[in-house]
Amino acid sequence: MYPAQLANRYLTSRIIPLIAVGAVALCVALVVIVVSVMSGFLNMLKSSGRTLMGDVVINYPVRGLPWYDELIAEIGKLPEAEAATPLIDTYGLVRMPYPPGADKEVVTANVWGIEPRGFERVTDFSRSLYWKPPKDEAAAASMAPDDPRRVLAPQIEADGRSLRQFGTDIPGLVMGIHVSIVNERMRDGSYRTRSGWFMPDQRVTLTLVPISGKGTVAEPTERIFPVVNEFRSGVYQIDKNRVLIPLEEAQRMLRLDEGLQYDLDAPPNADGSQPVLGKSPARVHRVLVRAKPGVTPATLRDAVQDAYARFAMAAAADPAKVVKPPRPEVVSILTWEQHLRDLIGPVEKEREMMRILFSIVYLVCAGLVLSIFWAIVQEKSRDIGILRSIGASRPGVLWIFLQYGLVIGATGGVVGIGLGWLVIDNINAIHETIGEDAPRWTWILAFVLSVGALVMSLRGAHRGALLPTLLWLVGGVTMGLAGAGLLAHRGTLIWDPAVYYFSTIPNKVDWFTAALTWVGAVVFSVLGASVPAAKAADIDPVRALRYE
Amino acid sequence: MSEAPLLEARDLRKTYHLGKVGVPVLRGADFRMKRGEWVAILGSSGSGKSTLLHLLGLLDEPDADSGGVWFEGAPVAGLRGAARNRYRNLSVGFVFQFYHLLPELTVLENAMLPCSVARGLVAPGGADEVAHRRTRELLDAFGMSHRLAHRPRELSGGERQRVAIARALANEPRVLLADEPTGNLDAKTGGEILDMIAKLHGKGLSIAMVTHDPAVAARADRVVRLTDGRVDG
Repeated sequence: MYPAQLANRYLTSRIIPLIAVGAVALCVALVVIVVSVMSGFLNMLKSSGRTLMGDVVINYPVRGLPWYDELIAEIGKLPEAEAATPLIDTYGLVRMPYPPGADKEVVTANVWGIEPRGFERVTDFSRSLYWKPPKDEAAAASMAPDDPRRVLAPQIEADGRSLRQFGTDIPGLVMGIHVSIVNERMRDGSYRTRSGWFMPDQRVTLTLVPISGKGTVAEPTERIFPVVNEFRSGVYQIDKNRVLIPLEEAQRMLRLDEGLQYDLDAPPNADGSQPVLGKSPARVHRVLVRAKPGVTPATLRDAVQDAYARFAMAAAADPAKVVKPPRPEVVSILTWEQHLRDLIGPVEKEREMMRILFSIVYLVCAGLVLSIFWAIVQEKSRDIGILRSIGASRPGVLWIFLQYGLVIGATGGVVGIGLGWLVIDNINAIHETIGEDAPRWTWILAFVLSVGALVMSLRGAHRGALLPTLLWLVGGVTMGLAGAGLLAHRGTLIWDPAVYYFSTIPNKVDWFTAALTWVGAVVFSVLGASVPAAKAADIDPVRALRYE
Repeated sequence: MSEAPLLEARDLRKTYHLGKVGVPVLRGADFRMKRGEWVAILGSSGSGKSTLLHLLGLLDEPDADSGGVWFEGAPVAGLRGAARNRYRNLSVGFVFQFYHLLPELTVLENAMLPCSVARGLVAPGGADEVAHRRTRELLDAFGMSHRLAHRPRELSGGERQRVAIARALANEPRVLLADEPTGNLDAKTGGEILDMIAKLHGKGLSIAMVTHDPAVAARADRVVRLTDGRVDG
C-alpha cells in the first residue's frame, strides 16, 4: 500500500515528525503525571479515611449515646457488620513536657477516647503506631544507623496497643507523630527526636472540658498521662492534632461515665441528698462500625440505621431505663465517606477541575498536530500533485496523512507514558531535590556552558554568520539564566503536608488513566491530522505542479 | 472507415481566472493523434500548450462550454472519481519538465509508484512481482540499474528525467504525455533523453510532446503549432 510506504518515509526522513511526537509526548506525560498524582491522592485519602474511622459512623455529639453497649450488641447481630466500637470525640489541651523550665508548651488536640481492643478490630489502628522495634534483621538493616527504632523494646508496641504503661498499668496516651514538635521527619520518611526528647518517655497533662446535658461548661478536668507511643496515619491533619486515651478515662474526665440519676424536682431525703431515680448510663459520642468483607459502606449504613431504630424502640419500651437513647432521626448515621465529605469533596472537585483542564490539554495536543501537519501538507503539496497526476485517489492521499497522525499519536503517547512513569516513579526524589539548594556543580556547569556558548557566538559573529551567532547567543543566555536561577535557588517546598494532608506524594502510575490518555492522544492526533489531510486530498494537481 | 484516433480533443476551451479577470488560454483547440504517432505541440511560452496536455491527461477541467476529449473513441473528459484516477494511472503516462520525483523515495520506489497506486488501498504490500520486474527492466534499459537505491537528490538532471520516464511507463500506458521533457536539461543531456524517447517511439509508443523549441519538435513525426489558443496544422 503506497500510503503506508509514504507515511513511513515522511515519518523517518524528516525532523518535523519528531517535533510532533515530542509535543504529543509532553502533553501525554503531563496528563499521566497529574492525574496519577491526583488519583493516588484521592485513593490515599479514601483508604486512610476508612482505616481511621471504619465504614459507618453513628454520631451523637456533646451529650452522647447512652446504653451504647446494647447498641453495639444489636449491631453485632447484623450479618453485614464485622465489629463495632464506642468512641469519645472531644477537644482538649495538652501540656507538653518541653521546653525545660516552668513555661511548658500547650497545644490544642482532638482527643479520642477509645476501647483499644474494639478500636483495633474496627480500624487496625495498631498498624499506624510508629514506635516499634524492627520486625527482623532485614527490617533492621533497612533502617538508618541512627534510627531510634533500632533499639526499642517490643513492649513499646504492646503499650501503644493497650494504651497502658507497662509495669505501672497506668492509662497511657498515644499521640499523632506531629502533635509534638520534637519529631523531625527525615528524607526517607523516618523520624529523629530533637535534643533527646523521646515522647514515649514523657508525661503530658491533658485538660478536658466537660459539658453538661444543658450545654453549659463545667469545671475543666485535668490528668497526667504517660505517653506510651505515637502514631502516624499518613494524614497530616490527624497526625498533627489527634491524641488517643482509654475510653473510660475520657468518659470520667467528661463526666460521661456511669452514675446515678437524681430526681432534682423531688424534696431532698433526710440526709440532705436528692432521691435517686435510677442509673445514669455511661455515654459515648460515636460508635464506629466496620463492614464484613464484600459489604459496601452504604449497605452497612442502611442495616445499622435499622439496628439503631430497633435499639431505640426497645430502650424506649424498657421501664428500667430512666434515660432513653435519642430518637433515630436526631442521630446521624453516615458512611465514612459521607462523614469526611468536607475533606473528600474538595479533592473530588479538584479532580473534576483537572479533567476539564485536561480536555484543554488534549485540544492543545490536537492543535499542535494540526499546525505541524498543516506545515507538512503545505510543504508536500507538490508530492500530492504528483501522486494525483499518476492516478492516486483522494482517499489514498487522505489516508497517507491520517496514518501519519495515527503513528505520531501512538508513538508520542507511548513516549509520553514512559516519560510520565519515569517522573511519577521518582516524584518524591524529584520533590526532595527541588526542596534542596542546588548543588554547587550544577550552577558552575551552567555558567561554564554559558561562557562557552557566548564564545562560540562571538566566533560566529566574527565570521559574519548570523544564524550560528544567534543560536549560540540564545544558548549562552539561557544557560546563564539557568545558572543564576540554580545559584539563587534556596529550596522550595511544593508538596506541603500541611496543605495536602499526606507527607509523601503518591507515586503509582494510574495505568487506566495512562491507557485512556494514550487512546486520547491517538484520537486527537488523528483528528488534528484530519483537517490538513482533507486539505491535501483536495489539492488541485495542476495547481500543485504548475509552479516551481 | 478510418481507424478512430488514439487521442482526440475538439474545441477545447480553458480560461484561467486571476481575481475577477478571466484569461482565456485555449480558445477552441482541436487535436488528434493516431496510434503509434509522435506529435510535438510547439508553442511559445504562455501559449497554452501545457494546459492542452493537462486537459488531454485529465489533470485539469476544461471550461463548461468547452468541447471534449476522446480516448480510443470514447469520451473521457467527463470521467469522475475512480474512473478518472484509473485513466491517469493506466491509460496515460506523464513526464514533466521538472521531473517531479518524490524526494523521500528511492529511484526504484519512484518508478514503481504508479504500480502501487494501481493496486489500490486494500491490497497489502507494494506493487506485485510482475510490475516489479517490468519496472526494473525499464530502469535497466534506461541505464539506471546501478542507481536503484539512490534518492532523487543524488541524481543528475538527466538521470532524474530517465527515472521520471520509467515511472510514466511503469503501467504500460497507451500514450506518453511529455511536457517539455528536455526543458530543464543541457543540450547534450536533452539530446540523450530525446534519443531515448525516439527509441521508445520506435517500439510503437504513442507520444504527445509539448515544447517551445523547434529543434526538439523536429524529432517528432508531426508538429502542430499552438497560437492564440488554437492549434494550427
